Amino acid sequence: MPKRYDVIVIGGGHNGLVTAAYLARAGKKVLVLERRPRVGGAAVTEEIFPGFKFSMFSYVVSLLRPEIIRDLDLPRHGLHILPLESTVTPMENGDYLAAWADHDDTRRELYRHSPRDAEAYDEYGHLMHFMAQAVKPILGMVPPDPTSFAPGDLAALFRLGKHFRGLGAERLHALVKLMTMSSADFLDEWFETDVLKATKSASGIIGTFLGPRSPGTAYVLLHHYMGELDGVFRAWGFAKGGTGALSESIASAARAFGAEIRCDAGVAKVLLRGRRATGVVLENGDEIAASIVVSSLDPRRTFLQLLEPSHLPPDFVADIKRFKFRGSSGKVNLALDGLPTFTCMPDGAGGKLHRGAVSISPSLDYVERAYDDAKYGEFSRRPYMDIVFPSMIDPGMAPPGKHVMSIFVQYAPYHLNGGWTDAQREAFGDAVVNTVESFAPGFKSKILHRQVITPVDIERITGLSEGNIFAGELALQQLFFLRPAPGWAKFATPIRGFYQCGSGTHPGGGIMGASGRLAAMRILKDGK
Amino acid sequence: MSLRTTPFHARTGPLSEGQAWRRWAGYVVASSYELSHDREYHAIRNSAALFDVSPLYKYLVTGRDAARLLDHVVTRNVGKAKVGQVLYTPWCDADGKQIDDGTISVLDERTFRMTAADPNLRWLHLNSSGLEVALEDVSERTAALSLQGPNSRAILQLAAERDLSGLKYFRLTPAKIRGIPVTISRTGYTGDLGYEIWVEAAQAVPLWDAVFETGTAYGITPAGMLALDVARIEAGLLLIEVDYFSSRHAFIEAQKSSPLELGLGWTVATDKERYNGKDALDAERLRGPTWQFTGLTVDWDSLEQLYAQVGLPPRLPTQAWRMSVPIYDPGGRQVGYATSGGWSPLLKKYLALAHLESSSAAPGTQLRMEVTVEHRRKQATAHVTPLPFFNPERKRA
Amino acid sequence: MSPPRQSRYDAIVIGAGANGLVAAHYLARAGKRVLVVEQRESLEAGLDVGWVPAQVVRELQLDQHGFRLEQPDPWVSVSLDGAGGLQLWREMSKSVEAIRRISPADAAQWPEFCERMRTLASVLEKLYLAPPPDIETRNPRELARIGGLGLFVRRLGKQAVIDLARILPMSIADLLDEWFESDILKGVLGAVGVWHLKQGPRSGGTAFNFLHHHVGCALGVFRPPQSNLREALAAAGGVGGRSGPEMMFNNEAALRLASDGRAAGVTLLQRREQIDAPLVVSSESPRAALSSLGLHLDPEFVRALDHIKCRGVVAHARLSAEYAARVRNRCVAPSLEYLERAYDDSKYGRDSHRPYVETDGAGRVHIQYVPFTDQQRDVQSLRTLGSSVADALGVPAGALTIETPDDLEREYNLTEGHLYHGELTLDQILFMRPVPGWSRYRTPIEGLYLCGSGTHPGGGIPGAAGRNAAREIL
Repeated sequence: MPKRYDVIVIGGGHNGLVTAAYLARAGKKVLVLERRPRVGGAAVTEEIFPGFKFSMFSYVVSLLRPEIIRDLDLPRHGLHILPLESTVTPMENGDYLAAWADHDDTRRELYRHSPRDAEAYDEYGHLMHFMAQAVKPILGMVPPDPTSFAPGDLAALFRLGKHFRGLGAERLHALVKLMTMSSADFLDEWFETDVLKATKSASGIIGTFLGPRSPGTAYVLLHHYMGELDGVFRAWGFAKGGTGALSESIASAARAFGAEIRCDAGVAKVLLRGRRATGVVLENGDEIAASIVVSSLDPRRTFLQLLEPSHLPPDFVADIKRFKFRGSSGKVNLALDGLPTFTCMPDGAGGKLHRGAVSISPSLDYVERAYDDAKYGEFSRRPYMDIVFPSMIDPGMAPPGKHVMSIFVQYAPYHLNGGWTDAQREAFGDAVVNTVESFAPGFKSKILHRQVITPVDIERITGLSEGNIFAGELALQQLFFLRPAPGWAKFATPIRGFYQCGSGTHPGGGIMGASGRLAAMRILKDGK
Repeated sequence: MSLRTTPFHARTGPLSEGQAWRRWAGYVVASSYELSHDREYHAIRNSAALFDVSPLYKYLVTGRDAARLLDHVVTRNVGKAKVGQVLYTPWCDADGKQIDDGTISVLDERTFRMTAADPNLRWLHLNSSGLEVALEDVSERTAALSLQGPNSRAILQLAAERDLSGLKYFRLTPAKIRGIPVTISRTGYTGDLGYEIWVEAAQAVPLWDAVFETGTAYGITPAGMLALDVARIEAGLLLIEVDYFSSRHAFIEAQKSSPLELGLGWTVATDKERYNGKDALDAERLRGPTWQFTGLTVDWDSLEQLYAQVGLPPRLPTQAWRMSVPIYDPGGRQVGYATSGGWSPLLKKYLALAHLESSSAAPGTQLRMEVTVEHRRKQATAHVTPLPFFNPERKRA
Repeated sequence: MSPPRQSRYDAIVIGAGANGLVAAHYLARAGKRVLVVEQRESLEAGLDVGWVPAQVVRELQLDQHGFRLEQPDPWVSVSLDGAGGLQLWREMSKSVEAIRRISPADAAQWPEFCERMRTLASVLEKLYLAPPPDIETRNPRELARIGGLGLFVRRLGKQAVIDLARILPMSIADLLDEWFESDILKGVLGAVGVWHLKQGPRSGGTAFNFLHHHVGCALGVFRPPQSNLREALAAAGGVGGRSGPEMMFNNEAALRLASDGRAAGVTLLQRREQIDAPLVVSSESPRAALSSLGLHLDPEFVRALDHIKCRGVVAHARLSAEYAARVRNRCVAPSLEYLERAYDDSKYGRDSHRPYVETDGAGRVHIQYVPFTDQQRDVQSLRTLGSSVADALGVPAGALTIETPDDLEREYNLTEGHLYHGELTLDQILFMRPVPGWSRYRTPIEGLYLCGSGTHPGGGIPGAAGRNAAREIL
């Protein structure tokens, strides 16, 4: 007699696991089905080279919702987030710009580049703090449908309107600017130091197929300030044991609530009876029944692969087909014999440099040119990179004295001219390593092992369409009630009993878990 | 990285017995040099205390329109000030809410030195569009000592080898101390007779030595921020981020204050055509400010009684405190909050500085201040006292 | 025109551009004594580009003064290598037929695309004929108006609501890629999306700019009409028995303030003469009109003025008469990538190596991107630009006289050489234009109003800002 489940969650990425944990906590019998041998999706830690553990894809924990950590009691299940305290941006003239953990230190460092920017920085931070406060409630709400006349939608729209008006003119205007401007233009209003604008705007382009001068990138600048509101010391953190440990802790919490997690169990199709989901069929042909099926996969795979398009309204299918992915980033993970020495700061500020992030974004033009390459189908010859040394924060990641180096690289377009081949992958890896070498001579000789991950690899391994790390571009026209499609942004789908909970739904993006949590809430509400 | 030390650190460092330092504008300065700050406090009122006040932000404003710019920024009338005068003044945003306070020294018709508690270079720049004026941040280049107390004049006259009795309150003069060119201003943050000495940072250590050696016979005592804090409460002097929030840093409207609400009405010029916040301040003056910033004296008997109830003698704060303490009217309604307070060793009174609703701020009004007695919240009676609490004649004489 | 006798007016309008003149006429129509002061010697020759709202024509009775619209047919033509060309017509079926020759799939999409865009443009038209909605208001009438707008949009149907939210922030490249496959067609359409923007077709918000330039156009026409608006306004005297505005040319006027900080009139700089008026309406760019007032303005307002993005990127050229007739309404933007690459050059401060070029029916040439530099331009770079434009159009370089944004700033006092006094990006429209919080044509100086392209609804709609401003003043 096969077991009956209340809920099947397809995909054991962090959002799938969060949904499963919340549903299990509410007493549902939950089964999570993961295609790979381990849970985590894009948040996995793997020992690619003996003794060296890599956070393969996602490497920083930026925005994991604190209520999830509390609700699921994740620290009891092994979660420990360590702060990444500083960012050093080497410049091409041998100088650098650093943002340190201590405010006075940062101020003095900025003052060195521009006394006015040092002052503007505080006021900018003040404004962004407000803006984060203004946006936060939106991240936590189920998006209303503005085309609907349902009382619930109208009420939510009204509340939303009231919220925005309550911000006051000045902040409302700033919010409009943040939502529509390019990060370069937005930062131009505040600062004069090019490298400061470059390193800040770089955070606005992560995961997008946009450059710092492209409108729509300013919004992401806010993310750095979100953490502050939650009482988190620093917005950017590193999970002890890598991001895989984070996934494991959520999985462990889910199991503790009674959820069952099955790996090596890829789902081929969602089973339907009429317009209602009844279970799933696995790639090995096994059928498992459940009254509710939740997909944490991205919208394209959720609707165009797990279902037959003929089961869905044609307009909806067209919307999903139009949903843009355009993966633009790659990853290079290195095992090192020792730490590299950067020309701009030979002493590494007594270890601080390597304990924080190193941002290769020496000027706005540098980052913009990196984007230019990608626009026309090439990977950046000199890419923007965000480098961290996880073994400096968590010694367990590498053998004593050795180190792992995680390099997030942009741009590496999914649609590369001529396609991604092994040779192209290595050429890309060379471009990355050579660019680092130009800022840290001698670094190449310390490399023990190199793993190069292209967007095609991300897609192949994690299943994220076109290797987009946010499961769909975070562009204004793909956010809120438009994510993933107008009318279907509330986690339900046109198929009854079939839900979505991945990063391709509102609010999406980053290891936030908010989509998974909101989806679980929605499912529980519908079940009442 | 480490915090920056001031140009006097070669001297102040070794003097610090307890290595008790605190941050001030990205620098370290002494909290107290001795393990207890008592003697340092008494030096302020009894002999002479020497403070290192170098971390103050200092800007040099020069050019044809320098006075116009400053007049546009601050509330006092800079255009009317004479060369050699020093103005204490707040400055406001367009809504008349206070951004910061500091001093403006008129060095000559086209040269002004502005001191501020917060960085203000950007604000000055924003205000200077279309004006012929040069702004220079001289914070690092300029070191400053503050010599405060009844003996300060005697010490400085000897050190500068000249008579300073003609230097009136809030006036400045160029001088030389052992050949070192300095500016001496009769200003300070203690409400006592005192001077501040401004010098190029490179000459800081010899200046310290000159003043210190001259002052030894007069009981000169290096003093830190703890002693200063007590003295400035007695003098009723405001401290930014403690007694009020800069309107630029406030998170909500209620955290902002106007100069009229801070007891600084006397600094708001009525004879100026235009300056930041004028319209708002004019209107506020007309209708009367909602809040007043004033002194509060806790009634000793009441405090003694509260402690007696649990069988203890009154416990007094050993240092000046900086936190928000609720103030109630006799009916129990909260009418304000105190932001600084402490025991005055000289006046033998428990003092506080408080924001009070205007209706409860008349001198002599009986109110209640919350005190914690053996872990329990109580209310001690207190009465409104005009500021300053302590105002010796020698300050202006 | 002879100098006026009086030195006392109800209102003085600075600048005799389309918006200045329209504002002046509306004020005069309401019985005010109005003087228009223009620094140039006479009205600038040439046609006005863009939608002239029917209300302006009707209310100012322009039909009686020779007002006419130029609506070329075909409205655009592209010459294809070797294979004739693509021409798009005012008549839907003719365009469909023309497109079919390069892409049957695109031809099939064309009518629906045109319908959808027309619907969205109609929303903008509604928004543009009134001051921008004041989203902070508590005023019941304004709230009702905003509610009415919302209802108007909802009545257009679910699709329109979704399109509005989805399309406005999009890039024109993404929008066109959803509909069409032909590079040529996408180039022709995409070009409008970047008009007067220092952005490429892949930049978000260019779909809005595309729609902005579709207002007032007929279904299936994606080039704004041209008109002799200024000429007709100059010819028009008073309306309904009232006298029209007086004109004064060849005079540069500077705002004069009274001692209490209100506008008191203008000073004619050359003549050192003062003219009094309690109301001064400037059609100059916001920065030009206000930035000299330094100390009279809140520093935050000055900061906002300084931050108006106003980066001129369009050069204009005039074709000699001989060639003007040969290359009418010719568009050289063979693909979106061509446009994007033309933009790339401007990002790094260079003229487009291969610029987007388009001619109108009267020998005027639009050349993009030629960034404003603020520096002395060397002769060689101008020559290079001239020859690349000439190559694009297939005319000799000698047939062109080019004015760069630098020239435009010098000649016409256009801030940074930007024709629209401020880019039409999403952060600079509606209640954010010209600066956030001051979108109602008022300024912090009492008695001073703005009515130029720098205000809502912006450039390319001659007269709309002037009309809105005048109505707001009245």
